[in-house]
Amino acid sequence: MRILIACVLLGLPATQTSSQWVLEQSTLTYHVSHPLHQLDGVSHAARGKGVCRAGECEFLIAVSLRSFGSGDSNRDLHMLQVARGGLFPMVTVRTRLPEDASAAATIHADLEVQFAGQTVAYKGVPLQQTTQGDETRISGIIPATLTDFKIDPPSLLTIPVKNEIPVRVEMVWQRQK
Amino acid sequence: MHSRVATFALCFLVSVPLRAQVAGTRLSGTITDPSGAVIPNARISVRHVATGRAAAAHADSAGVYSVADLMPGDYEVSASADGFNTAVAHVTIGAEANQTMNVTLVSGLSLEDLGFAPTQTQGSTKDQARLDRRSHMLMVHQRIGLIAAVSLAATAITGTLAGGRSTSSTGRNAHATLGVVTTGLYLTSAYLALRAPKISGTKTRGPIRLHKLLAWIHGPGMIATPILGAMAFDQRSRGEHVHGIASAHGAVAIATAAAYGASILSVSIKF
Repeated sequence: MRILIACVLLGLPATQTSSQWVLEQSTLTYHVSHPLHQLDGVSHAARGKGVCRAGECEFLIAVSLRSFGSGDSNRDLHMLQVARGGLFPMVTVRTRLPEDASAAATIHADLEVQFAGQTVAYKGVPLQQTTQGDETRISGIIPATLTDFKIDPPSLLTIPVKNEIPVRVEMVWQRQK
Repeated sequence: MHSRVATFALCFLVSVPLRAQVAGTRLSGTITDPSGAVIPNARISVRHVATGRAAAAHADSAGVYSVADLMPGDYEVSASADGFNTAVAHVTIGAEANQTMNVTLVSGLSLEDLGFAPTQTQGSTKDQARLDRRSHMLMVHQRIGLIAAVSLAATAITGTLAGGRSTSSTGRNAHATLGVVTTGLYLTSAYLALRAPKISGTKTRGPIRLHKLLAWIHGPGMIATPILGAMAFDQRSRGEHVHGIASAHGAVAIATAAAYGASILSVSIKF
């Protein structure tokens, strides 16, 4: 009790967690373009958490690379190989947002993406959000490219895929006070 | 009698460390973040390195924790809180009544906070090497397989010169030679596909299933066709009409070539 009073007297600010967010549902889809194929790899296995304190929320979303499926296991294993999934089995996305950002219809997030052993920052990625009670739905597209992550484009019949691999993100977050 | 001795011994063994702890040291401190702000309700775990005996505590709303009755020795102290990485520190507890150790927690959610086990999040060079080897072997399999398809087409074309009444020994020889080359390329390609490392936990899905299924037709066909062809070749070389089982050579070859072509298309065209 004396220590508590002393701390208050000394004016030590308390790092009080005001709220937390938990990722309830997610669909992450990467799109690959090839003259012979248009393919999408989908994962519903992402996990995420957000912690808010002092007016700022820190979010971490992570997903196993192996959880992405394009409907063709051979192609998925090839993707895993070119993305160095044996060495780096996870994709993570970190971002920090002001706690009051949940009031806006569109938020512009600075995303730090770790994938294939590289960390790439995407600034001001527009994400649409709708909130109902403690549940917030967020969707948007991360404009990823293969060169961002130093991945050699895989080829089919000697024709390489396009460099752009946009990742569509659809998430449902639950606020926990 | 034995049970009494055992009970006595057990009581003695249990009581020794308890008596030592009662007279032990109190370890306390404050949990803060790098800016100096206190972190309330942090979880503290103190483990005696030598015995593995552990004690747990929670910091109060002012970030202050306290663990009492620690006997002298080396301890591992870990502190964690929601939104912060777990910090682990070592401290040696002496004979004094109170000892202080403040802990600074660095902000940052971790994969452990999301419930991922370290085995899920840590890769290995061995796993990557396995994937690389698999991709390399299948790439060579694909290339040799395509060359075998060209060779197969040439063999089929020369087959028109090898069969029927008005054929020459030159046509038969050319057909037989190309057939041997095709078979060699095919078997090399098949070996690479069969020997490519399997990746555990992967369920076969999509067009590759049809690709593998068709191998049960063109695989035996690629073995039967040259055997039947050799029999037909001998019969023709002796001036005989092709007869018996050798007469199935053409039909087996067509079925094999059709299955092989479909197998290539199955992984080249999106259905």
